[in-house]
Amino acid sequence: MSISYILIALIAMFGHSEDFLGTTLLSRPLVLGPLVGLVLGDVNQGIIIGATLELIFMGNIKVGAAIPPDVITGGVLGTAFAIISGKGPAIALAIAVPISILAEMVISSLFVFRAVLNKKFNQYADSGDYKGIQRLHILSGILRPIFMGIIILLALQLGSSVMKSFLDMIPAWVQSGLTVAGNMLPALGFALLMHLMFNKTIAPYFFLGFILAAYLKLPVIAIGGLGVIIALIVTQIAPKITDDDEDDFESVADEEPKPVNKIRRTDIRNVFLRSMALEANFNFETWQNTGFAFAMIPVLKRIYKTKEDMAAALKRHLQFFNTSPYGSTLILGITAAMEEQNSNDATFEEDSINSVKLGLMGPLAGVFDSLFWGTFKVIAAGVGTSLAIKGNIMGPVLFLLIFNVPHLVLRYNLTFIGYNTGTKFLQNLAQNNVMDRLTKGASILGLMVIGAMPATLMSITTPITIGSDKTAVTIQSVLDQVVPSVIPLGLTFLVYYFVKNGAKTTHLLLGLLALGFIGSIIHLFA
Amino acid sequence: MIKLTRIDDRLVHGQVAFTWTPALGVNCLLIANDKVAKDDFLKMTLNLAKPAGVKLLIKSIDDAVAFLNNEKSTGLKILLIINSVKDAYQLVNSVPEIRSVNFGGIRMNNGSRLISKAVAVSDDDIELIKELLNKGIELELRQVPTEKKQLVESLI
Repeated sequence: MSISYILIALIAMFGHSEDFLGTTLLSRPLVLGPLVGLVLGDVNQGIIIGATLELIFMGNIKVGAAIPPDVITGGVLGTAFAIISGKGPAIALAIAVPISILAEMVISSLFVFRAVLNKKFNQYADSGDYKGIQRLHILSGILRPIFMGIIILLALQLGSSVMKSFLDMIPAWVQSGLTVAGNMLPALGFALLMHLMFNKTIAPYFFLGFILAAYLKLPVIAIGGLGVIIALIVTQIAPKITDDDEDDFESVADEEPKPVNKIRRTDIRNVFLRSMALEANFNFETWQNTGFAFAMIPVLKRIYKTKEDMAAALKRHLQFFNTSPYGSTLILGITAAMEEQNSNDATFEEDSINSVKLGLMGPLAGVFDSLFWGTFKVIAAGVGTSLAIKGNIMGPVLFLLIFNVPHLVLRYNLTFIGYNTGTKFLQNLAQNNVMDRLTKGASILGLMVIGAMPATLMSITTPITIGSDKTAVTIQSVLDQVVPSVIPLGLTFLVYYFVKNGAKTTHLLLGLLALGFIGSIIHLFA
Repeated sequence: MIKLTRIDDRLVHGQVAFTWTPALGVNCLLIANDKVAKDDFLKMTLNLAKPAGVKLLIKSIDDAVAFLNNEKSTGLKILLIINSVKDAYQLVNSVPEIRSVNFGGIRMNNGSRLISKAVAVSDDDIELIKELLNKGIELELRQVPTEKKQLVESLI
């Protein structure tokens, strides 16, 4: 068994390398589950467990420094123990939830610890030693996979037999209770997502998604497609709002044409590639600063030939920085253009580089986080889990493609747009209200898919019957004729109500588990 | 009506646009900052980050005070954003409606120390915080609305 433990630990290490891999969702349970299944000889179970965990952790997203439970450690160990003991998805989730909460604390302490390295980074910058910065950025980044890999290997090595005999003791009724409880938990994920996007003006799209899924039984992928079309139509007919303070933008000085282009295409491409490691040294003091410097180095190397210039530039980019990784390349591109201008023009105001950088990082994080977490991730997870829950390997594949094709195409091109057109691109966006239309379209699309989710991804029914043996009618069959999937929908709204009123996520999680568990025992839910 | 007064040195970003705005159900983001009010470039970037369907106002501290104390603003559901304890102090003193201040994010600076993952305060800030506490203002620390409120007085 030892070899498979090592392989599983390697899978978890791969997941924990996500900060090097551009936050491309490779570390989600839907992706790692099948890999763990492959190692343990049951890919099918891996896919199904991965999908179950993905549903439960769906509302867990990383915004700013608010670190969500560690689904990598929880997901990998939960999947592994469930397959080893042959107990299925319900047990996986019972293991994954507490582990992910504990593991999050470990990761947070790493983010605190990394702040200690800042002194060293600054020393390197002072001496213009970009190689030192690169090295330390990578080393510090590797700490996370190594550290977590060891923890996971130990947990498997020491915990497996104990865990197996413990799980074997669980009686069947507890297990069926857990299964029902597990089926309830996605309501929490849906509610958390709704909380982010639901408002009166776009509420109809939620119900449109629900009706398409519940009555017409359309698959999520079709609802996503319809959503795209509807979003396009709605945003095109929407009247263009003319802002009265539009002339404000006129006064923004036009950028000078660049006289000498020292930076080559390959440099910009390298900036894009290196942006994948933006969060490798994420820490709670200066956040993504070394990642930004790391990504800028190909450009800095090209344009600054003296040690002093290099040192000044490195110091500039070791300042606090934090933005959405998905839109980071736009800022990197703009910064590259400004650095080039600075290297050509002795009178260039160096401080303006950081003020533009810092001015852009917050707003762009808002735009790109909502676009990617609120829309692309939702659709990818909706389509991916709806296939994977039935054991279809295309689930994880489509999940990665739907998210990453737009992500990588956009991220690559934004590097060049930023470098070539600088802030003019943003001014155009602002003038034409593009962002308003984009965010509106994206939330329509996202909400339609969320509406489809209770109907397609939650299977909670009631076994209650009315009448005597012969003429007995199950309540469920009556419900199905009126509003199919009304129980999942009702549960989702119930949880949403609590989320909206400030209930704590962990309380809701436990509450849902209890409701499902007790509901199963008293034969209210199945 | 001011739904929340938040100190956040990144002003409008993911947490604000994507979690606070829908959670509070606000229809107006008011940024009170002297520097930004004069800077067209920053104004442009903030306009980009504005969530759909929400009005974004950027005013100097004095203008913001006048606006908030004006009857006309009572119809709006406002999320007020400032970027420093100093500005918060000034607003609390001039706008009686503000009884609570949310600490969202203040980055480390020379001479300041972290009191939580995302909030750092200087000695001067602590003086102001103490004064605010003496006035009975609630000072709470949350990055996103789903987090539990931590009271700033227990952290300094």
